[in-house]
Amino acid sequence: MKKTLIIAIVLLSQTIVAQKYFTRTGTTHFKASVEAFEAVEATNNSSTAIIKTTTGDFAVQLFISAFKFDVALMQEHFNENYMDSDQYPKATFRGRLEAFSLEDLSEGKEFPLKGTLTVRGKKKEINTIGKVCLKDDKIKIKTSFSVQPQDFDIKIPSIVRKKIAEHINIKLDYELAEKK
Amino acid sequence: MNWLKKNKLLALLLIVALVGYSAYKYAYKPHKTIEELSIEYTGNATELLSKIKEDTNIWNSKIVELSGKITSIDTDGITLNEQIYCQFKEPLKTKHLKENQTIKIKGRVIGYDDLLDELKLEQCIIK
Repeated sequence: MKKTLIIAIVLLSQTIVAQKYFTRTGTTHFKASVEAFEAVEATNNSSTAIIKTTTGDFAVQLFISAFKFDVALMQEHFNENYMDSDQYPKATFRGRLEAFSLEDLSEGKEFPLKGTLTVRGKKKEINTIGKVCLKDDKIKIKTSFSVQPQDFDIKIPSIVRKKIAEHINIKLDYELAEKK
Repeated sequence: MNWLKKNKLLALLLIVALVGYSAYKYAYKPHKTIEELSIEYTGNATELLSKIKEDTNIWNSKIVELSGKITSIDTDGITLNEQIYCQFKEPLKTKHLKENQTIKIKGRVIGYDDLLDELKLEQCIIK
């Protein structure tokens, strides 16, 4: 009886310890390019993400100023004129992978992902699918969704309106390690 | 003057080319590298952390030079004093580093990450 209790406690404490996975260097990419015009896209390689494996809670935080563009001037304009990254330095996502469980994840599985994206202080509900796989003790999650500049009150001057897509595709690609 | 009159078209072309060239230069100027950017704060990690807690956002995008103790290492970067994560300019440069070693780095502050309660730096190079 005592033995089973001890085993139970040991097992339980292990699951409590191993419930969070995280990354600091996740890749978030967005693309707002229009064909025949110069590509408008950037990558953020410093996104922080946390998954609580017991509940499927998924939280992301990134800094707008860490988005890297090929063209330095475009990056400057993005921060200063469109995103006001001084005033609104962060973008966050808080959501949940529904019915998430760590079991049978080696082949990869899809979970409905619902949550709130906050950019420039404006919130937008996101409804998408997250592809998750567990390999070498690391959780890999990939997801994508699309937003519009007006969702976040981003004003685009009419001169460049045609060069920036109406729908901006955002892709997340993170590899999370166990948080000890 | 005579020459200009004779070669009006050539002069015009030259001006157009010059304007075009400088506009191109301006629009496609290269990214400033961390080596080129001047340091806005020099100090040690503990000091900076206490300053950050007073006012977080003024530090965003600042170029800093910090000395501190390495408390953990991964492939992309190192953690100084348990609370400053430094993402390296070239990821594998962390290979020869050891924990508990004191180090001086230069990097750009991304911002204070309240999910993990740590300050994030990028483009870090070892000084």
